[in-house]
Amino acid sequence: MSGLPIRIEHVSCSFTHASGTVVEALTDVSLDIAPGEFVCLLGRSGHGKSTLLRSLAGLNPLTSGRITVGGAAIEGPSAERGMVFQEDTVFPWMRVQENVEFGQRAQGQPPVKRALSARHWISAVGLDGFAHSWPKELSGGMRKRVAIATVFASGAPILLMDEPFGSLDYVTRMDLQNLLIDLWTRTRRTIVFVTHDIEEALVLAQRIVVLDRGRVVDDLPVRLAQPRDEEVRAQPEALAITKTVLRHLGLARPGRPAAAA
Amino acid sequence: MGAWLRNNWISITTVFVLALAWEIGGHLAPTSPLREAPIVPPWEYVFGPALIGMSDYWKIQLFAPVPELGGARTYFGALLAMGYHSALTLFRVSAGLALGALIGVGLGLVISVSEVTRRMVATPLHIIRMCPLLAMIPLFQFWLGATNWSAICYVAYGVGVVYFVGTLNAVANMPRHYIETAQTLGASQLLIYWRVILPAIMPELFSSVFLTLGLAWSAVIGAEYVGVESGIGRMIIWAEFFSHTGRMVLVTIFIVLYSTLSWVVMRSIAMRILAWMPKAHGQINPLS
Repeated sequence: MSGLPIRIEHVSCSFTHASGTVVEALTDVSLDIAPGEFVCLLGRSGHGKSTLLRSLAGLNPLTSGRITVGGAAIEGPSAERGMVFQEDTVFPWMRVQENVEFGQRAQGQPPVKRALSARHWISAVGLDGFAHSWPKELSGGMRKRVAIATVFASGAPILLMDEPFGSLDYVTRMDLQNLLIDLWTRTRRTIVFVTHDIEEALVLAQRIVVLDRGRVVDDLPVRLAQPRDEEVRAQPEALAITKTVLRHLGLARPGRPAAAA
Repeated sequence: MGAWLRNNWISITTVFVLALAWEIGGHLAPTSPLREAPIVPPWEYVFGPALIGMSDYWKIQLFAPVPELGGARTYFGALLAMGYHSALTLFRVSAGLALGALIGVGLGLVISVSEVTRRMVATPLHIIRMCPLLAMIPLFQFWLGATNWSAICYVAYGVGVVYFVGTLNAVANMPRHYIETAQTLGASQLLIYWRVILPAIMPELFSSVFLTLGLAWSAVIGAEYVGVESGIGRMIIWAEFFSHTGRMVLVTIFIVLYSTLSWVVMRSIAMRILAWMPKAHGQINPLS
């Protein structure tokens, strides 16, 4: 199923609040994402990252422009674009295995096949022995693992992640970042990952797209070797990216020439 | 058992004291000049003359003598009569509850599909909710006759409104991201209703279940009281004709027992179906 290029063409999107104010969340965004890429969308909160991701998911109507996946314009949510949210989206009324099977069940796969694949992905995210647990018996980090297993098991070639690790503690977040990189390296699915954390973007992304006030203001390739431990992240190239992003976020230290890169 | 007693001795004592007060009141209160019925029947009267008197309502010449035809009053006949009419009432309550829940939840789910339909039903629903339930009994009996079916429909109507409103609110309040997750996993609208929305609103639906249990019992007793010529509620009317205060109290005690029992059964069903719920949600346990 892999190999669907994403093309975002002149996408704009505005919301009208109940008070009547119109907010332009995205302004003329154009972006191409190749199959198998790991792209991080970075920016301040409220600057359009999530709107762009939800538009990719088909959960958000566009005001103008269009998004095509594999050449076909998207018309709504679809199994080819699985999404992981920041909120706890593991269904609490299903056991872990049933959760992981849900995508395949939605696609009408036979029970035996989807159980096998669920077992595989439960194991792949390190939850061996928890297939029959209720989500309430797991920690927040383990439930995130379930959500990741679910979206991988669904077979979606494109995975959209909206600050999935935002609510986790530092150590758990690093564990899950490593897990995600590992799964991505093995499967080469396309991953579009929203974050406001520069370090997270440096750990994960092949490419960082910076959004500011609803516009794409920069598109930075990250050519650092995996795994991106603290030493790799201290290399000059990584520091240059950090500086550039900080400048876009309006956080560059004054009195210094910003972005040596 | 010891621990249970230690935790509950205060409420047990209270119940005991209240029963004792009733007994003392029964002996102090004068008897009614009508057929010498005690105005406040003491317990030995309720479970003695009043209980055996229930055999008056056994009308089938089988298993026990029929007092109406000159037969003796027997405890067995009394139990048969109670059993027969209880079974009828129990059937009406359960059928009414099931029908009302099915229609209420079903309609609620269908209506919550779109904002337009939700707005359409808002005002009529408000009017229907404000109609006094007991005042509708004569209308129902005019439409459907004083029959089993009429009692069932009446109960179903009474609880159905509660389920309908409960479902609409529960769907409106459920977290959207569950639905969105299911959509991005490729789930059809039907699968989302069946495996996402319905389970998600189940905890709130069970609040409606516990709310409607009491309502259903009141409704069915009301329907029998006003028109339907059988059932445990009707027994109160028969007892009232001849100022049989003891029998009225006896029937009331049975109703309390039945509704408590139905509550216990529902609670165990709820605990099984809602096993997935984190303990922090105490909303399904109105007793404790």
